[in-house]
Amino acid sequence: MAEKKFLMGNEALGRAALAAGAKALFGYPITPTSEVLHFWSKEACGPKGKERGLIFLQAEDEIGASFMLIGGVLAGTKSFTATGGPGHVLMQDAFSMAEAMRLPVVAYLNQRGGPSTSTVIYSQSEVNLACFGGNGNGYRIVYAPSNLQEMYDYGIKVFNTAWKYRFPTFLLGDGYLAKMMGEVEIYDPKEKGIAMIDPEAYMLEKKRVRPLEGLVPSPELEIRREDGVEYACFRNCLNYEEETLKVNLEIKEAWDAVAAEIVEHEVVGDPDAEVLIVAFGIVAASAKTAIKMLAEKGIKARLFRPITLRPFPDEAMRQAAAKAKRIVVAESAINQLARFVKDCLYGRVNVPLTEYARPSIGITPSEIVDVVAKL
Amino acid sequence: MNAAHAEHNLAFPECVRIESKPHLFCPGCGHPEALKALGFAIDELGIQKKVALGVDIGCSLLAWDYFNLDTIETHHGRTIPVMVGMKRANPDALTIAYVGDGGAYAIGSGHLLNAAERDENIMVIVINNAVYAMTGGQEAPTTLPGMIVDTAPCGADEYFIKGPQLVREINPTAFVARGITSRQLELRKLMKDALKFHMEGRGFVFVEVLSPCTLNWKTMDNPHKTFDFLERVLARAYPVGRF
Amino acid sequence: MKEPFKIVICGEGGQGVLSIAKIIAHSAWLQGKQAVYVPYFSTEKRGGVSIAFAQIGDEPIPYPRFTKADLWVVMSQRAIPRIAEYLQDGTKIVANSFLVKDFSAIEKWKPYAIDAAGIAKNRLKKPRTFNMIILGAMLKLIPGMSKESFSQSLEKTFKDKYEKDPSLKELNEKALTIGYDLIS
Repeated sequence: MAEKKFLMGNEALGRAALAAGAKALFGYPITPTSEVLHFWSKEACGPKGKERGLIFLQAEDEIGASFMLIGGVLAGTKSFTATGGPGHVLMQDAFSMAEAMRLPVVAYLNQRGGPSTSTVIYSQSEVNLACFGGNGNGYRIVYAPSNLQEMYDYGIKVFNTAWKYRFPTFLLGDGYLAKMMGEVEIYDPKEKGIAMIDPEAYMLEKKRVRPLEGLVPSPELEIRREDGVEYACFRNCLNYEEETLKVNLEIKEAWDAVAAEIVEHEVVGDPDAEVLIVAFGIVAASAKTAIKMLAEKGIKARLFRPITLRPFPDEAMRQAAAKAKRIVVAESAINQLARFVKDCLYGRVNVPLTEYARPSIGITPSEIVDVVAKL
Repeated sequence: MNAAHAEHNLAFPECVRIESKPHLFCPGCGHPEALKALGFAIDELGIQKKVALGVDIGCSLLAWDYFNLDTIETHHGRTIPVMVGMKRANPDALTIAYVGDGGAYAIGSGHLLNAAERDENIMVIVINNAVYAMTGGQEAPTTLPGMIVDTAPCGADEYFIKGPQLVREINPTAFVARGITSRQLELRKLMKDALKFHMEGRGFVFVEVLSPCTLNWKTMDNPHKTFDFLERVLARAYPVGRF
Repeated sequence: MKEPFKIVICGEGGQGVLSIAKIIAHSAWLQGKQAVYVPYFSTEKRGGVSIAFAQIGDEPIPYPRFTKADLWVVMSQRAIPRIAEYLQDGTKIVANSFLVKDFSAIEKWKPYAIDAAGIAKNRLKKPRTFNMIILGAMLKLIPGMSKESFSQSLEKTFKDKYEKDPSLKELNEKALTIGYDLIS
């Protein structure tokens, strides 16, 4: 039964993983995300958790945790990790492997101050890292929730997206969303008609439903069938440039085929507004309040909020931008979201763009009101 | 015996993938010897369908299609945590991490020590040839004092890591042993005992194997010198046996 | 659009700043209000300054932080400059006079100076009731919150603790009432 609770964002995430049928959390403590580990470890050692076979393992570091996560996924278990900041940096090694081999790792990432250790509190400066970290081309799916309820909703959704499309899938929150408390409706996905997708092992799976061929890039896979038994061998170290090209093109092709299905965005406010605010995550929540405050001053403004930062909602962004006279990109970082917007609009929509960049500090509704009012 | 094996009538374990031969290791390399010993042990125990083999980056990666075993090539130093995650998620899997001395004792040392400390139910095989072999003969944590290698042209320092001793210090109940490729029957027995311990779920299994690197030892043209260095230098610094 | 009531609390690490803000938000929510709490957390838990933000209103509150507060609570002297920027005309101030001695910077807001620590220690003989006294005083200044329904929601918040130690409930009630009555 759906139930409203007063919860911290991190607990909403833990409960979301539980509701999504996740089985294993491999993690390493880090502020502002540790409560996800606290929640899960408590669940795992309780009677219900034991019955469900929940797994919790605190690794030696985030590198260890993220590679354990890969092991869990290879074994066909819905597995996830939770981290942020410097831990998120360390995990790029494993995420890169997952990207190369189409392994559906799931990570809850709560951004904290950066660069370096910085504050443990808040930022939006892990956008580049979440979307394009690693030495690949950024084929990961990144959802950015904007409030506590969405921490729960998208905390569930990431697992389905990951196992359906088989790309690394991340929820990109931040320290405010992680640590704030408020109302969250907890529900079983079934009640909402959400069917959960079953995972399937990459290794030691002898009754496979979804073939590995056509999923794992072909140069990385060798399968031998002997006496009715399948033996799958995977590699990510390649010998020839041509093989690596093939891997990359196969990943791109798979991505291009599904990106339009995955992409999500939200537009709020008057369609005739001259000012279009672009913001994501908690800053988009702030912008929603700002739009109401501006309306009281007689200023019309509209918000475009990418819900998936990767794939980026390019088409919808262009349509919204084409109607505006002025764009304001507000982010708690310098030119991370803004770069996506410019990349999307370049050569197609010509509207002046103002950047309100406040690296690693929150942006209140009244700040946004001031920025827009001064245009 | 499968068809390929019957046709070739080779002294290879059944679980070896004949199609991927000749192997990619250098002539005189110890890896195939260690892998063969492992393969024979897998055959004898009849566990081919249950083994998940993780191979590290370095020369170990050349084993990625050596066997008809489900095999995953990971990142450098990260094979141990991958196998830890897999074992935790699938306790029925027999999980073997096959790693070089750089992967185990340098870049992945934190994973090794902590997996030992947590008594993870995985089996770790470390190939110790006292050098970084694939990257061209640089200094490893196992390089012996005075050895001339590419990143220690004036000779390596006096310190070196003794893996099994270290693991035993951390974990008193683990299976800990060191073998050597030049004593093949002993090595097969060792692999089999290690695998049995692993199959029984008795905790962390750690096997170091002293193994020649003819390329970087610069002994490819002289098997006697290879043998000499392996048995008279390496095995003296790193005593073979059970710990 | 009706703005929520905004509360900022600041004090020394370990004084219960975060707990107070959390309790006030949670209790308001239990009363059927919309409420959001967020801590300003950092690496300095002990020996540093803690700040917490709470908002209470009738409509959903999308953003947990704000620039100006309606209720401003300081529990130590050095908390004053730390949150001074949140003051605006009409902000109500509660100050813990046990640790705040110099009121010069905040005089014009006519702060309620409460010796919560002194009362907790000397009158109630339980230093840990300090938080409840502060909460009682705050409660009087938050519109739409009654002491009775707040007490009821406290019972839900502290269900486990009250079951273990029933005398705690009485003590908390007493402390809450003392704090509440200090504000006139």
